[in-house]
Amino acid sequence: MSLQAEAISKRYFRVTGQANYFEAVKPLSLTLTPGSVTVLMGRSGSGKTTLLHMLSGLLTPTSGRVLMDDTDLYGLKDASLSLLRNERIAVVPQGRSAVDTLTVMENVLLPRQLYGKMAPAGEAEKWLEALGIESLRDAPARELSGGELRRTAIARALVQQPQALLADEPTGDLDDENTRLTLSVLRDQAKRENRIVFIVTHEAEALAFADDAWKMEAGALLPIA
Amino acid sequence: MSAAGLPFKNLTRKPGRTWALVLLTAFLSLSLFAGSVVVMSLQSGLRSLEARLGADIIVVPAAAKTKTDFQNILLQGTTGAFYMDAGLLDQIAAAEGVEKAAPQTFLATLKADCCSSRLQVIGIDQQADFTVQPWIAQSSSRELGPLEVAVGSDISAGVGDTLRIYRQSCPVVARLSPTGTGLDTAVYCSMETMKTLLEAAEEMGVSHKVTSDNAEEVISAVYVKVAEGASVDQVATSLMSHPRWKVAVVQTRSMITDVSDGLAGVASAVKVLIGAVWALSFVILLVVFALLTNERKREFAVLRLIGASRRSLRRLILTETGLVCLLGGCLGIAVGAAVIFLFTALIESALGLPYLTPDGGKIALVAVLSLLGTALMGALASARTAWHLSRVDTGSILREGN
Amino acid sequence: MKKRVLPLVILCLSVLIAVGSQTFLSPCVHEDGSFGACHWAGQAMLGLGCLTAVMGLLLLFRPGSRSGLFIAAAAAGVLGTLIPGTLIALCSMSAMRCRAIMQPAMTLLCCLVILAAAAGLILEERKGGRKP
Repeated sequence: MSLQAEAISKRYFRVTGQANYFEAVKPLSLTLTPGSVTVLMGRSGSGKTTLLHMLSGLLTPTSGRVLMDDTDLYGLKDASLSLLRNERIAVVPQGRSAVDTLTVMENVLLPRQLYGKMAPAGEAEKWLEALGIESLRDAPARELSGGELRRTAIARALVQQPQALLADEPTGDLDDENTRLTLSVLRDQAKRENRIVFIVTHEAEALAFADDAWKMEAGALLPIA
Repeated sequence: MSAAGLPFKNLTRKPGRTWALVLLTAFLSLSLFAGSVVVMSLQSGLRSLEARLGADIIVVPAAAKTKTDFQNILLQGTTGAFYMDAGLLDQIAAAEGVEKAAPQTFLATLKADCCSSRLQVIGIDQQADFTVQPWIAQSSSRELGPLEVAVGSDISAGVGDTLRIYRQSCPVVARLSPTGTGLDTAVYCSMETMKTLLEAAEEMGVSHKVTSDNAEEVISAVYVKVAEGASVDQVATSLMSHPRWKVAVVQTRSMITDVSDGLAGVASAVKVLIGAVWALSFVILLVVFALLTNERKREFAVLRLIGASRRSLRRLILTETGLVCLLGGCLGIAVGAAVIFLFTALIESALGLPYLTPDGGKIALVAVLSLLGTALMGALASARTAWHLSRVDTGSILREGN
Repeated sequence: MKKRVLPLVILCLSVLIAVGSQTFLSPCVHEDGSFGACHWAGQAMLGLGCLTAVMGLLLLFRPGSRSGLFIAAAAAGVLGTLIPGTLIALCSMSAMRCRAIMQPAMTLLCCLVILAAAAGLILEERKGGRKP
C-alpha cells in the first residue's frame, strides 16, 4: 500500500511576466509509504497546500497521476473517488473546517454518518480525550476557538481510520504543549497503526517527528538534508 | 445517527432561515389551494343552479324591478315580496308554446323564532309544481301536509325539528340538498300553509302586501317550461309583450349566462392573484437560495473534503428543500382550509354568486396537487443552488481565510 | 423573553375575542332593538375573552402555576368554540352575520388560543422535565 505521485504538476492560468500561466507545482514525483511520517516545509505560496490537495484527491493535477496502491485517483468517477476519500484518505485542511450547525461530536462522526456507518464504540471519545477537547463534545462548532476547531478536524480525520492521513498546518493555532501532543498523536498513527502520515507545516519542531523531510521552493520539491 | 439525519439537523439548527422558507412556501400552497377551491366552488355552484332552476322562463310582475330583485332572491338569499294577479297563471299556461306553468307565492316574514332573521317563505302549488318537488322528493316521499315545510340546506333546522313562524309550529319534513344559491335559505310550503301563516300574521298585527283574503288571488312568480319545438326566446318575448299582463320575464339561460360571466371574472382574478403570488415567491426563493449558496459554500466544501459525492450533496439540498416545502405546504393548506371552510357563508355573500363547496375527495385532490406544485417550485428554485454547491471548488474554498 | 411570547399571543387573541364580539365581529345588527340568541352568544364571548385575557395577564406577570393556566386557557378555548352554535343556537340562516362572521371568526380565534396554550403547556412540561 502506498500513495504515489507520478510527475504531477499544477498550472493556473494567470498572466505573469513571461507566460500566461502560473506554475504552482512543478512536475515532481513523491512516494508516501505506511509507517513513516513525511514532513513538508516551505514558505507560504510555495505550493505546499496545492501538492497536498492533489495528493488527497481534491485537486486534479495539470499533468501526471496520483496512485493509491494501483488506483489512479483522477481516473475514478466522482462517486468512487468520494467513497475512496471517505474510507481511505483523511485530510486535515487549513482554516475552519467544521460544519457550524453541528456539535463537535457530530462533526467528528460526520464522515461515517455520510455513508450511514457507525464509528467503532468509544473511538470518537478516545480521540477527543487524547486531543484534550472531550469537554467540548456537545458544544456547537460555531462557538469554538481556532485551536479547538483544529483539534476537532484532527479528531475527525482520526475517526475515519484512514490508510493515509494528510494534514495541512495541523498545529497552526495551537500552543507549544498542544503542538507536541498533536504531532506525537500523528506520529503514533504512522508507527502503531502503520498508516501513511503526511504533514505540511512551517513549524520547525515537526522535523523532530519526521522520518522523511522535504521542503518546497517556488513549486519545486527539495529534500532537507 | 444516520445519513438521513443531516438535512433535518441543518434545518432545525437554523430555525430563522428555515421558518422564513417555510412561511414563503406556505404562501405558495395557500394561494394555490384556496384559489382553486374557491373557483371549483363557484363552478359547482353554477352547475347546481343550472340543475335546480328546472324552468326555461320565470314570469314575475313588471313592478318588481324584476330581474335584479328576483336574481337577488335566487343568488343571494335576500328576501323579497312582489305580487301579481293569480288569474295570469291560467292565461300564461294557455299561451302558445307553454308546456307547463307553476305558480309560487313569496312571503318575506318579519321575524321567525330566532333573532332578527327574516325567512323567505315560498308557497308552491303541489299539483302544478315541477321545479321544487323533485328536490323535496329526494328527502321526503310524500307531499307537504298542512303546516309542513321543506327547508333549504342553509336553514339550521333538520327533519323532525319545527320552525316557529308567526307562532305557528311548522314541522320540517324535508331538507333540500345544498345548491350554493339563495334557494338554500328558503322555506317551502304548500299554498294552503301559506294562507294559514298569513292569517296567523294578521292575528299578530303584522300585515303584508299579501293577505289571507287575497292570498288565493295573487302569486309572485310563474315558472314556465316551454314546449318541445317552441323557441324559448319567442315565448319569452310574447309573454312579456302582452299588453295587459305587465309582467317581466327572466330567461333562466340568460341568468345562468350572467352567473357564468361573473364566475369567469372571479376565476380570472383568482388566476392573476395566484400567478402574482407564485411569480413573486419564485423570485424571492431564487434570491434566498442564491444567498444561501454563498453562505453555505464552506459547509459544502467540508462535506466534499470528508468524502461526500456531488450526487449526495445535491440530494442533501433537495431533501432540505423538500422538507421545507412539505412543512410549508401543509401549513398553507391548513390555513387555507380553516379560512375557506369556516367563512364559506361570508365568501358566498361577498362574491354574490352561487357557491357550493365541492366534496371531500376533490378537495383532497386539490390539496395534494397544491403540495406537489409547491414542492416542484421549491425544487426548481433550489436546483441552481444544488448544482453550484455540489461543484464547489473544495481546495480553493478551504484555503480562503479562516 | 421567550417565556412571554405565548402568553402575549393568548392575551392578544383574548382581546380580539372580547372586543371583536362587540364590534367588527358582532353577531347581529339591531334594527328593532330586540335581542335574539345570537346577541347573547356574543355577550358570552365577551365574557370568555375577558376570562382568557386574565389568564394571559397572569401568565405574563405572575410567576408560578403556568401549566395550570395554560390548561385552563386551552379549556376556555374549547368552550369558546362551542358557545356560538352548539351551546347557544344561532340564527337559522347561514347567511346571517352571526353565522357568516361571528361563529367562524370565534372558532378560528379560539382554536388559535387552544394551539397557543397547548404549545405553552408542552414547552412548560418539557422544561419541568429537564430540571430533575
